[in-house]
Amino acid sequence: MGEFVQLVVDGLSTGSVYAAIALAIVLVHSATGLVNFAQGGMAVLAAYVAWVLTNQSVPLVVAVLASIVFSFVLGAVVERYLMRRFERGDPDTAVVVTIGLLTLITGIAGWLWSYNNQQFPSLFPLDTVSFLGVSISIRSIGTTLSIVAVMIVLQLLFVRTKLGLALRAVAINPQSAAFSGLPVERLLMVGWGLAAVLGAVAGALVAPQLTLTPGMLDNALVYALAAVILGGLTSPVGVVIAAWMIGVLENLAAVYVPFIGHDLKIAVPFILLFVVLVVRPQGLFGRKTVVRV
Amino acid sequence: MARVMTAPASSPSSPSSSWRRRPWVRWATPLLIVAVLAVLPLVGTEFQNETLARIGVFAVAVLGLNVVMGYTGQVSLGQIFFLGFGAYVTAYGVSQDWNIVLVFVLACLLPAAAGLLVALAAARLGGLAIAMVTIALPIVGVPLAKRLNEYTGGSQGLSARFAESPEGSGLYDDQWTLYLVIAIGGVVFLLTHFLVRGKYGRAFAIVKGNENVAASMGISPYRYKVLAFTIASAIGGVSGFLYMLVIQYTSPETMSFGHSIELLAAMVIGGAASIVGSLLGGAFYVLVPQLTNQVDASLTALLQGAILLVVLFVLPGGLASLPRALTRGRRRLRAGRGPAAPPTTPSSTPGSGTAAEQPETERQGHA
Repeated sequence: MGEFVQLVVDGLSTGSVYAAIALAIVLVHSATGLVNFAQGGMAVLAAYVAWVLTNQSVPLVVAVLASIVFSFVLGAVVERYLMRRFERGDPDTAVVVTIGLLTLITGIAGWLWSYNNQQFPSLFPLDTVSFLGVSISIRSIGTTLSIVAVMIVLQLLFVRTKLGLALRAVAINPQSAAFSGLPVERLLMVGWGLAAVLGAVAGALVAPQLTLTPGMLDNALVYALAAVILGGLTSPVGVVIAAWMIGVLENLAAVYVPFIGHDLKIAVPFILLFVVLVVRPQGLFGRKTVVRV
Repeated sequence: MARVMTAPASSPSSPSSSWRRRPWVRWATPLLIVAVLAVLPLVGTEFQNETLARIGVFAVAVLGLNVVMGYTGQVSLGQIFFLGFGAYVTAYGVSQDWNIVLVFVLACLLPAAAGLLVALAAARLGGLAIAMVTIALPIVGVPLAKRLNEYTGGSQGLSARFAESPEGSGLYDDQWTLYLVIAIGGVVFLLTHFLVRGKYGRAFAIVKGNENVAASMGISPYRYKVLAFTIASAIGGVSGFLYMLVIQYTSPETMSFGHSIELLAAMVIGGAASIVGSLLGGAFYVLVPQLTNQVDASLTALLQGAILLVVLFVLPGGLASLPRALTRGRRRLRAGRGPAAPPTTPSSTPGSGTAAEQPETERQGHA
């Protein structure tokens, strides 16, 4: 029983990391209609920035905050100078651009800081707490709670502020938003920046566990994409639930299904995905979209 | 260099000067290509032959990717998985002393069957779902290959040699291997050329252009996407067979995620929806790491990403479209409209305009 609870809690914590990246992808998709395969790569770059700062004996929290600011700028710059040209064009070309960006970022990180694993200090202590006779690691709880907190802040930003209203207007219909005087281009930059911030938080939280490498979030990106498809590109809540589901299920399958084990647990979301795609192609929580010719 | 390589092979339908349309040129060009390919293995050094054979292997892999991505417009990040699958099937078959023809057929059919299964599920979602699902193939494939060590040799991988040059031919092994690659690769290229020029190719092009139009014309986008993906997987399997023929060794590393992205970059840089572009893509895949390794091995990924982005910005049609872009630039210069613009191909960059002149149509591909 204790093992089971521990597995579920750990699963929720890795699931939260996938959820943050998945949510960033949904955010970018709703604003610009494209899927950013470099979302994980950008988060890795932010984690490297935080790592470099901590090596200069900057306190960890300050370093992470600085990397978050860096991410916001990075996201905005990428949108303005790289993606804008491709945004209203063929989505497939835009996807290839983001893949090029992923390669470039991985290359830059590998060139500057080598492909070796680097130790990243943890924001949370590695102890466990006892709860109803079950020991649970503080890091897992801390990761989950931090990401949930960031999500709530984002949700409030989108629902309660004027900026959020403008961002939603741009996502729903950029042309009408432009006609009503909104600075669409600047808002798109803000949207990309916010998505990058989500990724950076996830990167800083997961880096101690995975150790920092240029390809650290490649697997997480795959999980996040699976969560995006499972939850449906149109449903942020669905995506988060799907990501948690994936995190928990893969953890349980790794331990309780001998054939899968720890090395093949990445196959779990895809087995799930295939079943869902055959039964419910619009995703578990997504809506069917109708396109007019 | 690109110009030299593309000139003899470009088809009569491409805009070109009149001499290329004369009947004797149309006959002589293929003959010339065949003659060059027949002599090539005999004159090169061993290293040149091996490099050419490797270019052939990856040109076939890029060609497969082109069928699904260049011609049908479905981004696939999993092509390397089918190459790896084909290579493993070949290595296993050879180690069990199966007939080599049977091994070849299996190396096509098994990846094709896997591709069919993946596509049946992935193509149900419109838009970018194929990209999002196929990215999992290399990432699941590597641990899977390690796990099934009875068949794959685990992390050690498998090696197989089955292409000694026949006695009495007087050929060295590297020459014989290159001949085999040219023969098998040539047949695959020819078949694909006819496929994309014919009825199926036109159907693929409509699915790429606008799925709703395709559906309204009675062309099921779903069915043609699945078909294109299956064909791409089969071609990937062939390239895996050739990979074993040339490199004689495969391991889980063969189908790593990084290689999958490099393959996609090679296709875009060579030229999407272009037969010649596939050849150039294969050359890029093999030669650029060779060059960058001489400078600094840790720069390879950086340079590949940078080159890919630069090509997407200035030459969206890839290297294969370079002659056409140059001709257009020169014509513009001659027409006296001032200095030539950078060689973009406006027809294929709908996003090149400013945001103010957005196309009025809704975004496609979200059905």
